[in-house]
Amino acid sequence: MPRTFLRTLVALALTVVSFGCGEDSGFSATDDFGRCADFDPLRQVFWGDTHVHTELSFDANMQGTRTSSDDAYRFARGEPIALQPYNEDGTPTRMAAIDRPLDFVMLSDHAEFLGTLKVCNDPSSPGYDAQQCIDYRAAQEFSAAPGFVRDVFVRINGLLNLAPEDAGYPALCGPGDAYCLEAGTDVWGGIVSAAESAYDRSDSCSFTSFPGYEWSGNPDGRNLHRNVMFKNETVIDFPYGYFDAPDAEGLWARLVGECIDANNACDVLTIPHNSNLSDGVYFEDKMANGDPLTREYVELRNAMEPVIEIYQHKGASECLPGAATADELCGFEVIPFSNLATTNLERITPPDPKGFLRYAYGEGMRFEASLGTNPFQYGITAATDTHISAPGFVAEDDFKGHGGAGQPNRFLPPPPGFPDVEYLSPGGLTAVWAEENARDAIFSALRRKETFGTSGPRMTVRMFGGWDFPSNLCNALERDAQADAAGVPMGGTLEPQPASSAPMFVVWAMQDSTSAPLQRIQIVKGWLDGESYQVQVFEIAGDANNGASVDLDTCELQGEGFGDLCGFWQDPDFDPGQRAYYYARVLENPSCRWTTLQCSTAAYDCTDWDYAACVERKQNLLPSDYNCDCCDPAVGLNPAFCVDVDCTDPGLLPQAEERCCRQVEPAIQERAWTSPIWYQPPS
Amino acid sequence: MLRPLIHFFLIGGLLFSAKAVYERSRIEGPAITVRVAADATDANVEAAIREAILLNEARRYHWDQTDPIVYTHLIRNMRFIEPVSPDDDRALFRRALEMNMEAHDPVVRARLLYRAREALTFVPDDQMPGSAELEKHRITHGDRFEREKRVRFQHVFLSRSKRGAALSADAREMRERLAELGDTAPAGLGDPLPGLRPEQSATPSELKDDYGPELAGVVQEAVLGAWRGPVSSVYGLHFVKVIDTEPAYVPPLDVIGAEVRADRLREIRKELREARMAALRDVYQVTIERAP
Repeated sequence: MPRTFLRTLVALALTVVSFGCGEDSGFSATDDFGRCADFDPLRQVFWGDTHVHTELSFDANMQGTRTSSDDAYRFARGEPIALQPYNEDGTPTRMAAIDRPLDFVMLSDHAEFLGTLKVCNDPSSPGYDAQQCIDYRAAQEFSAAPGFVRDVFVRINGLLNLAPEDAGYPALCGPGDAYCLEAGTDVWGGIVSAAESAYDRSDSCSFTSFPGYEWSGNPDGRNLHRNVMFKNETVIDFPYGYFDAPDAEGLWARLVGECIDANNACDVLTIPHNSNLSDGVYFEDKMANGDPLTREYVELRNAMEPVIEIYQHKGASECLPGAATADELCGFEVIPFSNLATTNLERITPPDPKGFLRYAYGEGMRFEASLGTNPFQYGITAATDTHISAPGFVAEDDFKGHGGAGQPNRFLPPPPGFPDVEYLSPGGLTAVWAEENARDAIFSALRRKETFGTSGPRMTVRMFGGWDFPSNLCNALERDAQADAAGVPMGGTLEPQPASSAPMFVVWAMQDSTSAPLQRIQIVKGWLDGESYQVQVFEIAGDANNGASVDLDTCELQGEGFGDLCGFWQDPDFDPGQRAYYYARVLENPSCRWTTLQCSTAAYDCTDWDYAACVERKQNLLPSDYNCDCCDPAVGLNPAFCVDVDCTDPGLLPQAEERCCRQVEPAIQERAWTSPIWYQPPS
Repeated sequence: MLRPLIHFFLIGGLLFSAKAVYERSRIEGPAITVRVAADATDANVEAAIREAILLNEARRYHWDQTDPIVYTHLIRNMRFIEPVSPDDDRALFRRALEMNMEAHDPVVRARLLYRAREALTFVPDDQMPGSAELEKHRITHGDRFEREKRVRFQHVFLSRSKRGAALSADAREMRERLAELGDTAPAGLGDPLPGLRPEQSATPSELKDDYGPELAGVVQEAVLGAWRGPVSSVYGLHFVKVIDTEPAYVPPLDVIGAEVRADRLREIRKELREARMAALRDVYQVTIERAP
């Protein structure tokens, strides 16, 4: 029986069942725009996380995550949740709580194995006693050997690494994948239902949830993942993943056909992420079939993917140090892996600059010049990509590991060393400028790209571009209204001006009340000069040389900064015939990275540090400790070990010394990135 | 998909009503022997008892002989043991039962426990909460659904970054100007700050998250119509005048129905599980054997 026909049958059958089983709530889904008590037509900032995994994701599940969709929503609203590892009697060994509630969340469990997990956990499923399920369940036993757990994980999750033509559900899914399709549809119903229960439809508008999932194709380890976000409870019947739609075009076609063009209330967008781990293929100049990009493809991509994740747990995707443009701030949280497989295996491979947004923005302008539309005109978001049901858990000083890199941390005792790989981080947050905290308003903000991402702290940033702003706009109490009336907000496009003038930009920002003060605001300008693209960074407010620093022994902040800043800037080199984009980057004063924070409070001693012994422990999946972790030169806190190491040719160095040449930053500058404002010359 | 639902419906009516049946018939409940490790804790013993009861209930209803998953699994076992057997599936299954295979196989055990646990929490249609019950739940547990009090206030801000050393003097001057304003709105006074409006509505929690606890506390305690301040935050100094408060409230059912329903269903499942388990625990006669 053809697979698609079978799927349709399964979907139809389940639709009937779901109406017949009495689970329909029967409550109206009224969600009128303007219903919230604090509705503000000038818009306000709301904080969220659109990349969250729970026990429903196979990788998270294999890492011992036992927290549900409901737990994730509870966490986002400020309630504590229990975390792995669990004791033999099933009691959790750790608890976690967010410091401040989030405003909105989309859970994004991997679509591909939603059904698999249910089949393997539900003895009423005919696939329950397939060997893969038996192995999966054996791996859940407290006594399971870490090596066995990893093998089971790789055997199933590794299907995502296959080429599109070979991609398919695991054998346990039965003939025509029917068991997993049926179970996956059922689980998807639960995800949508959990989002409904969590959504605050009262005029308090205290919390907004969006149904969603993650499409998780990574052929050859090249991450092409996309989060699929629905505007409301009207969704497609089945969450199409890599095995159902093995390329992005196929996914978009499904979403357009079954949601956007369905003549109901359904609307959807996709959010790319971790282009840094794509081996540089995320922004390729060809379609899945190998043909050059067409205008139709570009328009579809542009419509489906208004925003991209610039930063999350598995690193930043803004820019790469050493790329064509001198930008000393490109090194922030760049992880030393080129794709998802090497990340999971912790095999160092240099990232490809083509996987970073600076490249995409440049290429996008080139395509726009030739095709009339920009395929990579992305607004900015950031997220955690947590795999422990902890949306928005971004605190550097309370990092418990997000488990997003295949770490089987359930199967270790509570770790005395780092709870995650040193190169990974707590991730970031998305902020939107919207009228109210409700689905319509937030989804619209994402569509028009009036968004920014941060590396964690809730620093507020607003940016407008225009041709005729008053020069004292920074001091005007009504500056939101004035700038909005005379210009375009972040994410917008400046139309050409008949008069010969240069665009002006105003950016204002305020620090997170619980984080470090601000240091400065920059504008990053990129432009297309003939066939090549250029980038320049401008300082527009604050003080890059304010002398602020952090004590790496105590993590105490030192020096002054700014509670709020505003910068007004006019492009001094503007050429009205050149395409350009402008985005703002706002920097905090330096503070300790999570690795440094944990080491500053841990007792560790590097006197007799033995790298080989630490490696052996790790290879045997034995727990690490703070001596192993904090003294590792890669963490940057063992300068004595690295003092005489020459990094001219790291490949020739002994392994321990080679790690001196790829250190994380012990101190970081947390930051925010706004969506760009684009300029398009007259056609 | 429908088959398990129908089955659960039947279970809801029949299974785990054991206590009533035994009491009505004035006969002894089932007797079971539970073996535990010598050093088992009380919690371990209780867990083992409950598991044994559930397994026994599952067997009382012959799920070990009628369940399709058990059937398929035991046949697979038999074909592994007897790869060249000419017998058909039914014969193999019968032989597996004769060998008592279903009593020891871990997959069968897991399957039976799963069905029993599902049955414990199954909510029959007649116990699904209707609107009246949900409304009662919403009122009884109002604290779970309560929305926070909201305050409408005027806000004048002086930026530390902008005013530097002059901040304190500017604040003294501002306090005097505000005192002279009376009921007039403070138009054009102070400095801008992202998200700050001359008049805005917020909950104390939102204010705490945005500006810190001090400002939130002052707004929460403020007397209507009087300027308070300066109040310090990491951004500078603030003056606030509360002009209205909306008390905390519980939204009506037609607005938060899905939320209330999910909460009530969680409770019902928990109540059913505990009640059914307790009933079974009451009627079973359990003997504990500790392994030497």
